[in-house]
Amino acid sequence: MSFLEYRVKQVPTGLRKILYINWPLVVLVTAVASVGFLMLYSIAGGNLDTWARPQMERFGVGLVLMFIVAMVPIWFWRNMAGLAYIVSFLLLVVVEFFGDVGMGAQRWIDLGFIRLQPSEMMKFTLVMMLAAYYDWLDNKKTSRPLFVAIPVVMIVAPTILVLMQPNLGTSLMLLMAGGAVMFVAGVSLWYFGAVAAIGIGGVAGVFLSRGTPWQFLHDYQYKRIDTFLDPTADPLGAGYNIIQAKIALGSGGWSGKGFMQGTQSRLNFLPEKHTDFIFTTLAEEFGFIGAFSLLVLYGLIIAFCLVAAFQNKDRFSALLIIGVAANFFFYLAVNLSMVMGMAPVVGVPLPLLSYGGSAMLVLLVGFGLVQSAHVHRPR
Amino acid sequence: MRTPLRPLARILHARQQGENPDTIERENLRLRHEAMRDKSRARAEFRLLVLGLAFFAAFTTIGARMGLLAATEPVEPRASAPGAEIIAQRADIVDRNGRILATNITTHALYANPKVMVDPKGVAQKLAEIFPDMKAKDLERRFTDGRSFLWVRKVLSPEQMQRVHEIGDPGLLFGPREMRLYPNGTLAAHVLGGTSFGAEGVHSAEVIGTAGIEKALDARLRDPAQGDKPLTLSLDLSVQATIEEVLYAGMTMLNAKGAAAILMDVRTGEIVALTSLPTFDPNDRPNPLVDKNAEPGDSPLFNRAVQGVYELGSTFKIFAVAQALELGLVAPETLVDANAPMQWGKHRIKEFEGKNYGPLLSVTDVIAKSSNVGTAHIALMIGPLRQQAFLKSLGFFEATPVELIEAPGARPLIPRKWPEIVTITTSYGHGMSASPLHLAAAYAAIGNGGVMVKPTLLKREGPTTGVRVMSEKTAHEAVIMLRRVVTEGTASLGEVPGYEVAGKTGTADKPMRTGGYYKDKVVNTFASVFPASNPQYVLIVTLDEPIDTSGSEPRRTAGWTAVPVAAEIIRRVAPIMGLRPKLEPVATDAVTAASN
Repeated sequence: MSFLEYRVKQVPTGLRKILYINWPLVVLVTAVASVGFLMLYSIAGGNLDTWARPQMERFGVGLVLMFIVAMVPIWFWRNMAGLAYIVSFLLLVVVEFFGDVGMGAQRWIDLGFIRLQPSEMMKFTLVMMLAAYYDWLDNKKTSRPLFVAIPVVMIVAPTILVLMQPNLGTSLMLLMAGGAVMFVAGVSLWYFGAVAAIGIGGVAGVFLSRGTPWQFLHDYQYKRIDTFLDPTADPLGAGYNIIQAKIALGSGGWSGKGFMQGTQSRLNFLPEKHTDFIFTTLAEEFGFIGAFSLLVLYGLIIAFCLVAAFQNKDRFSALLIIGVAANFFFYLAVNLSMVMGMAPVVGVPLPLLSYGGSAMLVLLVGFGLVQSAHVHRPR
Repeated sequence: MRTPLRPLARILHARQQGENPDTIERENLRLRHEAMRDKSRARAEFRLLVLGLAFFAAFTTIGARMGLLAATEPVEPRASAPGAEIIAQRADIVDRNGRILATNITTHALYANPKVMVDPKGVAQKLAEIFPDMKAKDLERRFTDGRSFLWVRKVLSPEQMQRVHEIGDPGLLFGPREMRLYPNGTLAAHVLGGTSFGAEGVHSAEVIGTAGIEKALDARLRDPAQGDKPLTLSLDLSVQATIEEVLYAGMTMLNAKGAAAILMDVRTGEIVALTSLPTFDPNDRPNPLVDKNAEPGDSPLFNRAVQGVYELGSTFKIFAVAQALELGLVAPETLVDANAPMQWGKHRIKEFEGKNYGPLLSVTDVIAKSSNVGTAHIALMIGPLRQQAFLKSLGFFEATPVELIEAPGARPLIPRKWPEIVTITTSYGHGMSASPLHLAAAYAAIGNGGVMVKPTLLKREGPTTGVRVMSEKTAHEAVIMLRRVVTEGTASLGEVPGYEVAGKTGTADKPMRTGGYYKDKVVNTFASVFPASNPQYVLIVTLDEPIDTSGSEPRRTAGWTAVPVAAEIIRRVAPIMGLRPKLEPVATDAVTAASN
C-alpha cells in the first residue's frame, strides 16, 4: 500500500511534526554519541580539542541535518530515492577514477569543507532505492526471477565498485543491508538459500585463487584473514591490533580501570584507537559493565527502529527503516566482532562512537529518514 | 474459494433496487486487495520477527564474548605476545659416555619496532653502551629510516637482556629462540663444526649446521622424530681433552705452526679422539679467511686431520713391505739390496742424510732403519699395478667416508701416471698425498689383523666386518716390524713402558705452492698401533713445521718431534681407556739415534 492511499490529512503538519518525532530514538542516539565524546576525550589524554570537540561539532551538524530530513515528508524521499541512488552511484564511479587516494584506497571526494565518501552515502541510498522498488512492485511479482534480478543488480553494482576501491568492510555491509531489505520484502527463501550456497563457493574460490595472478583479494586482505585465524603469528604486524585489543578488554575486567585510566590505549599500544578500535578504550576503562551498557544502548536503538518499522503501514517507510536499522546493526556487529577477535579486521568504524565525519553525518541522515517515516506514517 | 468481483445475484438485486452495480465491484475489489495485503503483511511481519531474532542472537553472542573477555585474567602485553613455548628441536650431541658435547639453550634475540620507539636517539646510545661493537650512529640511522622492523642482536646474554630491558623503550622487543651451546668450548671443535641461524622469526629461529658433524648430519639432528634422542659420537671426552692438551703443549714446545692427532679403535673404526690445532670456539665460530693468497691451513677452521692432505713420508713404507710379505715375495728375514745411492734411470734414490745401510739389509731392518733404497727394491718386486691395487684397497684413492662435511672434499692426491719411478717414490711416501685419517684407517687394518674398517665418528656396537686386505699372518708380522721401529729403530722415543707401542715415523718435505719443496719445512708424522701384542688403538700424530731445538742443532725428523708427543699421549690416555699395562723387562734407557 502506497502513501497515495493514506489519508494525508491525518499526518501532522508544520511544527507539530516535532511532537511526533520518535524522541526515545533521538535520546538513545545522543547518548551513544556522548559516550563517544567521553572516550575521545579520554584517549586524547584529557584534551578536548584533539578529537572530542570536532566530533561534537559534527554531531551537532548531523543532528540538525537529522531534524531537517525528518521534517521533510517521507513521500518526498520516496520520490527522490531513484535520483539519490543514481547520484551516489555516479559519485562512486567518479571516486573510482578521480578520487583522492588515501591509505592506499580511493575513497573520498574532497568538497573542501568535508571529504565525502560516496560509499557511505550509498549505504542509505541503496536501501532507499530498494524500499522504493518494493513499494512500487506488485506483491505478487516479488519472487519472480526478473524482479529478483533487478534489486540484485542494484545491490551488486555499487558493491563491486566499493570492493574495487578497495573497501571490503563497506562492500560487505552493502550486501548484508540490501539482503536484509530483500528478506523482509518477502523474496522467496529459495533465493537466499541459493545465495548462501554461492557465497560458500565464493569463499572457497577466494582461498583457492590465492597466490595465482588472478587472486580475488589484495594481499593485505588475505593477510588480515590469516591474522584473524591466528593473530599470534605476526604479533607486531597485522595481528597487533587484535592482540592488543583483546588485552585491553581483558584488563578492563568487570568494572574497568576507571575513566582516563586505560593504559593500553593511552600509552599508544593500540593503533586506530580513536577510530575503528575505540571500543577497546571503553572496555578497558569501563570494563564489562560499560561495554555491555553500550551494547544495550545499541540494542535499544535497533529495537526502536524495528518497532517503528512494524508499526508503519507504509511499505516504503517500513522497508526503509529496516534498511537503516540493518545498516546500523551491521556497522556495530562487524566492528565489535572484529575488535573482539570474532571476525577479520575489515576496517568498519563503530557507529556514532568512532572519530570521523562522513560516517557520523550519513548515520544521522539515515536516522533522519527513519524519523521522517515515523512522523509521516499513515494513521 | 475466490469471490467473484461481480456476483450475478447481487448485481441483479442491486439493479432491481436501482443502485449502481459498480459499487459492488469496487467493494469486492477493495476486500480482495485487503485480503492480499493482509497476507503479505503477515509474511512481512514474520520476516521482520526473524530478522529481529537474528539481530538479538547476534547481540547475545557479542555480549557473551564481552563477558568472556572481561572474565579472562588481565595479562601484561609483553607476556602474552610470544607464541607457543619453544621446544628443543635440534638433538643434543654427546660423547660415547653420554657427556654433552652440544646442546641447546633458550635465549632471546633483540629486535626493534622503530615505529613505536619513543626516543630512537637515546635508545641507540644506550644500546651502543651495552654492545660495544655497535655504533650509536648506525643504530640511530637504522631506527629512523622509516622501517618498522629490524633485528638488533641475534642472541643476548641474560645480563645484556636485563640492561636492554632497563632502557624501557616500547620499541625494543625480545624474541625467544634456541641457540646451540658447546659447553666444552674449543674441545673437539673440528668434529662438531658449528651452527648458525637459518630462517629467523620473532618466536624462534632455525638452527642449522654450518660445518663438521653438525652440517654433515644436519638432517638427523633436525629430525623432529629424533629430537629427544641425542646423537652419540664415538669420541671420548676425557681422551679428547688429554690429547688436545698434550698436542698443544708439544706443538708449542716444538715451534710447530699446526698439529693434528687421531686416535681410532682398530677393530671398529670408531674415532675416539680427533683434533686439529690451532683450534677455534664453535660457540663463536670465526669467519673463514677471505684472503686468497692465504693457505687454507692457516685458518683455525681448517681440519688438518681430515682436510690436511700431505705427503706422509716413510709411514708408507710398511705398506710396501706388508704387500711383499702378503704376496710371498719376501719374508721378514729376507735380505734385500740396500746399497745407497740407488740409480734408477736419471733418478738417484738416497737415504736420509746420505747414509748407506747396505749392501744388504733384512726386510725388518728396512722398516726399523727406514731405508728408502731397501723399500724401493721391494716395491719394484711388487710392480706398479699390484701396488696401486693394494693402496686402493687400503682406501688411499678415495676421500674418507667419515661423517664430517669437510671429508668428501679432502681427496688424496694421486700421481696421474704410474711408471716404476712413481712406484719407488710412492713406496716411501713421496709423490702421493693423503690425510692423517687415511693413514689411520690403513694402520688400523694392519693393527686389527688385516681387515679394512670404515672410520666413523658415531658410536658402534661391536666390531664391524670389512674387506680383508691382508692375511692375519702378514698383519702380525708387520706389527712386529713396527714394534722393532720403536724398540731399536727411528722411533725409540716412542717407547711407553707397558703399552708396547709399535709405529712408523715419517718426515715429508713441505711442497711449495709454486712447485718444488721447501728445504727446511717438513711435516712430521708418527703412525702407531698399541699394544703391539694385541693392538687395540691406532694413533696418528702429525706436526706441521716442527723444529726441535733442545739439541745442539735444530732437528726436524719425526723421531724427535712427533714420536715423543705421541708417546706422551699414549702414556696418558691408555690408562683412561682402560688398557692394562703389560710389564716387560725394563728396556735400556739409552737413546737411540733418531733417523728417518
